[in-house]
Amino acid sequence: MNLHISRALTTAIAAIALTQPALAHEQAGVAGGLASGLLHPVTGIDHLIAMVAVGIWGAQLGAPAIWILPITFPLVMAVGGVLGVLHVPLPMPELMIAISAVILGVAVAARLRLPFAAAAAIVAIFAIFHGHAHGAELPRAANALAYGVGFVTATGLLHLCGIMIGTLTRWPAGERIIQGLGAGIAGIGCYFLAQGLGAVA
Amino acid sequence: MRSHLARALTAAALLLTGANAAEAHIVAARLGDFYMGASHPLTDLQDVLLWTATGLLAGTLGAARGRWLILVFPLGLLAGLPFASLFGAAATQLADATMMLAIGMLLAAAAQVPTFVLCAIAFAVAVIRGAANGAELGPETDRLLFAAGLACAGYTVITLTMALTAVFRQTTSDNSASWRAIAVRALGGWIAAIGLMMASLALAT
Repeated sequence: MNLHISRALTTAIAAIALTQPALAHEQAGVAGGLASGLLHPVTGIDHLIAMVAVGIWGAQLGAPAIWILPITFPLVMAVGGVLGVLHVPLPMPELMIAISAVILGVAVAARLRLPFAAAAAIVAIFAIFHGHAHGAELPRAANALAYGVGFVTATGLLHLCGIMIGTLTRWPAGERIIQGLGAGIAGIGCYFLAQGLGAVA
Repeated sequence: MRSHLARALTAAALLLTGANAAEAHIVAARLGDFYMGASHPLTDLQDVLLWTATGLLAGTLGAARGRWLILVFPLGLLAGLPFASLFGAAATQLADATMMLAIGMLLAAAAQVPTFVLCAIAFAVAVIRGAANGAELGPETDRLLFAAGLACAGYTVITLTMALTAVFRQTTSDNSASWRAIAVRALGGWIAAIGLMMASLALAT
């Protein structure tokens, strides 16, 4: 009898421990749209490193780039998003996104100090390509507005992350860390570039 | 033993059949439509975004200009309700997106909007959203109670958002003040970006 009870209890505990929540409405409505919008820029490593690199470079360049970038970048990216929504094709979008990671990573690693207009132009061109990739997903989202809110917020927060990391430039050791991070971003960008060109499987 | 069980079962059956629905809220007093009017816009992302953006814009312009919205915004919501039959919730998508873009751009540019223009923008937003909220009303809804709830929600949200923005921007140190202003402007840039994409989506579909 005791053996039966212990077996039944073990089975019950195992059954309870292995249960998972039933997700009958996964990725539906506002919550699904918001979740997919928030995750889209974060789950794509090439997007993520480029967004963070923009923030770090802005911090390295100092004023006015450090405060103009967070205000204008989402807007410029939205222009790319509009092109994506309207299915306007851009040349080699995946390669351009990889190139953006390489160039922004090199700019951070080399502490490249360009005039503000030139830096803004470079970032704007890349922002349009990144926005295009996100915008193409917009009509397919569970809730388009929630998706838009999610991806703009995620992009803004990634920038903020970059700017926070960029504040390490106040210390000499921090500057070295950031340069190393820039080199790492460029390296990952090179991998995606090679993948895009078919050199890596 | 059996008679005890039978009595217990009979008592349980009687209790279950005699049970009424618990009415913790005063829905039965016909005030349910008031709460529906007050809560409906808070469950719609379009309302949340546009109301917050309007409150942010008014808050950045200061209390002297913003306080007009305490009256103008709820009145606009009430004025929009009769247009519900003309403009469905889906029909206001482009208008919503355009207002998001316009308000976001004004916030991002830190534009010093005159009081009259601010009131006109807030009234336009309120009329559009009032019509969109009214479009989802059923024939059984008490429109007067719904309108009262909607106006109360509009008054509360606009006043709180304006006040919080005005307080957020008030600081003692210059450095902190500049960063807070940039944060509000960045938020404006985000709102404009969302508006731009939503406008393109509304035009594309």
